[in-house]
Amino acid sequence: MKTIKYYLFTLLILALLLSACAPQATETSQPVAPTEAEIDQPVAETEAPEAETITVIFPKHEAEWADVYEPRIKQFEAETGIKVVLIQSDWDSVADKIIPEMASGGSAYDVVEFDNGWVNEWCGAGWTTPLNDYMPEGYTDGMIPGLVDLFTCPDGTLHGVVWNNDTRFFYYNAAKLSEAGFEAPPATWDELVTQSQAAVDAGVVEYGMDPYWNQEWSLMNEFHFWTYVFGGEVADKQGCFLFNEDPNTLAGLEFAINLLNNGIANPAGLTYDQATAQNLFLSGNSLFFPQGISGLMALANDESASSVAGEIKIGLVPSGGKSLTLPEAFAIPANSQHKEAAWKFIEYMTSIESNVVIAKQIGLLPIWVDLYTDPELTALYPHWAGFYAQLDNVRGLSTLTWYGDFVDIGQAEIHKALAGEQTAQQALDNMAAGLSEFKCVP
Amino acid sequence: MNSSGVLRLSLLERTKKLFVSENWFGFSLVMPALIAVFIIVFLPFVDSLWLSFQRHDLTRPQNDAFIGLGNYINLLGDDRYLGSLRASAVFSLVSVVFEVVLGVGIALVLNRKFIGQGFVRGLMILPWAMPAVVNAAMWKWIYNADYGALNALMTQLGILDEYQVWLANPVAAMALLILANVWKETPFTTILVLAALQGIPDTLYEAARVDGASAWHQFLYITFPLILPVVMVTMLLQTIWGFHHPFELAYIITGGGPYSSTELIPLRIYAQTFRSLRFGYGAAVAYLTSLLLLIPAIFYIRTAYKKIVEY
Amino acid sequence: MPAWLRKLPLYLLVVAVVIWIVAPFLWLIISSLSYKVDLLSIPLQWIPRRITMENYQELFLYQGSFNVNAALFTSSIINSMVIASVATFIAMILGVLAAYALARVKFRGSDAYMVIMMGAQMIPPIAIVIPLYVVLRKLNLYDTYLGIVLVYQSFILPLVIWLMRSYFATIPAELEEAARIDGCTRLQALVRIVLPLSGPGLVSVLIFAFIASWNEYLYAFIYSSVTAKTLPVLIGEFSTKLGLEYLRIASAGVIASLPPIILALIFQKYLIKGLTAGAIKG
Repeated sequence: MKTIKYYLFTLLILALLLSACAPQATETSQPVAPTEAEIDQPVAETEAPEAETITVIFPKHEAEWADVYEPRIKQFEAETGIKVVLIQSDWDSVADKIIPEMASGGSAYDVVEFDNGWVNEWCGAGWTTPLNDYMPEGYTDGMIPGLVDLFTCPDGTLHGVVWNNDTRFFYYNAAKLSEAGFEAPPATWDELVTQSQAAVDAGVVEYGMDPYWNQEWSLMNEFHFWTYVFGGEVADKQGCFLFNEDPNTLAGLEFAINLLNNGIANPAGLTYDQATAQNLFLSGNSLFFPQGISGLMALANDESASSVAGEIKIGLVPSGGKSLTLPEAFAIPANSQHKEAAWKFIEYMTSIESNVVIAKQIGLLPIWVDLYTDPELTALYPHWAGFYAQLDNVRGLSTLTWYGDFVDIGQAEIHKALAGEQTAQQALDNMAAGLSEFKCVP
Repeated sequence: MNSSGVLRLSLLERTKKLFVSENWFGFSLVMPALIAVFIIVFLPFVDSLWLSFQRHDLTRPQNDAFIGLGNYINLLGDDRYLGSLRASAVFSLVSVVFEVVLGVGIALVLNRKFIGQGFVRGLMILPWAMPAVVNAAMWKWIYNADYGALNALMTQLGILDEYQVWLANPVAAMALLILANVWKETPFTTILVLAALQGIPDTLYEAARVDGASAWHQFLYITFPLILPVVMVTMLLQTIWGFHHPFELAYIITGGGPYSSTELIPLRIYAQTFRSLRFGYGAAVAYLTSLLLLIPAIFYIRTAYKKIVEY
Repeated sequence: MPAWLRKLPLYLLVVAVVIWIVAPFLWLIISSLSYKVDLLSIPLQWIPRRITMENYQELFLYQGSFNVNAALFTSSIINSMVIASVATFIAMILGVLAAYALARVKFRGSDAYMVIMMGAQMIPPIAIVIPLYVVLRKLNLYDTYLGIVLVYQSFILPLVIWLMRSYFATIPAELEEAARIDGCTRLQALVRIVLPLSGPGLVSVLIFAFIASWNEYLYAFIYSSVTAKTLPVLIGEFSTKLGLEYLRIASAGVIASLPPIILALIFQKYLIKGLTAGAIKG
């Protein structure tokens, strides 16, 4: 009957209407036009300033156990009158959301996450705005120089200001270490091996360390760490390969492989991400956690999450090695329509005041050198003293326009070497072969 | 047979009359769906297909160029891609075999009368009802080398002496990935086969039993041919999905490891597009794989589709 | 042999099937009710010594701001419900019509049509996700219900069409012809004869279409942001720079699996047999 047909089509239209009438996207907010009555008001009203809205996207801080950034942003809104649409999720999701937008030249975001691994890639793609146009003279003078350099494009302009100084520390379980008969953390990597061996033999721990060497993006972070602490290099300024020719790089990789072969490192680490490895460390399974986040200390002393509360200390990286820093910055996309307001946001959220507030709450490492001698903060975080001593020594990841490819090929080859299916030299040679088209292109 | 003969004739006349309007009627019914799919899939498809004929690495825009089949030719020599193709083929085909066998088997069991049959039938959808992320995370936790339920179960049952690092062994990792996939996907086949089983009249089985046919014969000659169309559809769909869908599964459980032995095609596309920012190459990976999948698809249409229509 | 003994093999099989389906999920539930520290103990305790609702509470209370997080979680459930229902509804109507035409009506181009529908299935979503992103942005459909519902048609419609066509093909054409002789139009024959007969098929395809939309991740992730974020996307965000947050995923996953199961439990009644048999006999 026709009625059935009409009935169905009406339902169809209703369904479409239902979905169309759903809450609209909140990306842009239109200023409210004054009604006729208001316009006709004889009383002169002060014009309400049009609220500028910026859209900000960056990941949740990994140590943000309680709400920290959102309240700070709300204060920014109150103080400047700029409205912020905040999009926060995990690091992977943020990265995947930003790519389509940047790739299509969109202007949906005004402040984006800018990870240190992306810098040269994005510089090459021209996706971000040089901040030199917006920042006052000498703005970066008090900042940790390394962090400034990391986010400078090859043409010398600054493109990002760090909001998450994610420098890693050398953690160890002091209680278990002394149980095994050692009072001081290892001064050299060989000492680390002997201490681990003794502790394992004495049954104090299962392993010297629980590594996180799953085949994933962060495996190449690890590769950089072991390379650097053995004095090796990955590539030079022109992008010429050093990793397959530098004997120190080879030594670093071989050391890591031997940790597995000698039973010092948990072989299950080949399948673990850092969160899982951290859990093991916090359950007393191992002695050393060579590159833990700054917030790990607080977590280690939290009895509801850790079985080793009070046992963990921070030491210097053995053999005078340099810690890895994996900072994240704020950047302004090239096509943003609200660059002035975006800069105000960046300036506010990375200011000295913001650093102090957030540091007090979640132990965020400041980007301003002076804050490391601030009495209040150093009382809260005594382990910062070690970091301050190494300020000039932290190193970041390689700055390559082909960093994505480097990770893609590297993670497979390095994982194969760690699993014992090829030698370290073979892995490095295979990497060089796979990346040959990029040789000496920075 | 006069009456039916007369009936058939008038049917034929009617059909002839309707022949012209048949076409239009058919078109009008299928058009809306076609338009929707066309616009949403076809236009972006053309766009990205065009992209696959170019070198378009976003971080090196100075190298952008039209290179025709260049990407495809490079792919055929790309060991990483070929490895992932092999991995995906193994993953998909082995999964499908298990999904069909288990799916049909479970459907046969659920087709019987037993106490709580309604509840179990509803429960059966559970694995498929779970979001892929949750499924992947759940199995990753089960396979965990130090805390996983799999290790605990095996050692407590005495099958193993010590905990194994399953995901560090290429064969075990692939097998466990397939297990996670089969567990999740089997309900799809089960429910569709179950629905098809509902359409088989009891009388057929009764007649067969009277003739003395065994249960196996009943299955082979009655059940199997009647559920075959549905089974073939699900097989084809599951094969295609096995190639294109299991991104979360592989990414979360193994990340493609150990050393790329479980690196499925979706992981390659993701790595090339989203991480290496090589949009042209990434698109080529996708479409070369689709091209290769066209072969079983065409085979299916040629053989099974005709069979169903004639049926 | 007593009746129950004859049935024993069947019940053993049923128990095996139930264990196969439920065991991993049971472990998920147990994990979600456990303290993290307890799960990290060797040897593993299957039945936890103490249970806690804190993982579920955290879904609503995480990081201390109750209203924001409760709102996020509940709104993502609502988003998923609306989007999945509307997308399924539209796909079923359009898909059943198309499937019927393909099964019954011999019109020119039906083969090509099937090839196109199959082709649509074979284009991996990740390949077209970025060009489609540009289109949605331009049409202002980004982060809207309508945008995602439309995008979902691209994979639900072919599914519905393929599956329903094979069901329609198993229904003898004589029944409809008899009806049309009695004066029904083709559409009336479709609605009154074919649809009721293909009840089980219809129900199962509907369940699948709903679950496929309910669980879809990639499109929902790229095309939603704050307003239209669905539940799988929210669950996908339960990770940090360091790795997955298993317990949050477990508790949210348990909740996310419930609506589809409830749907299936309600509708499994309709997978009853004998409809076609009766029609043929009669």
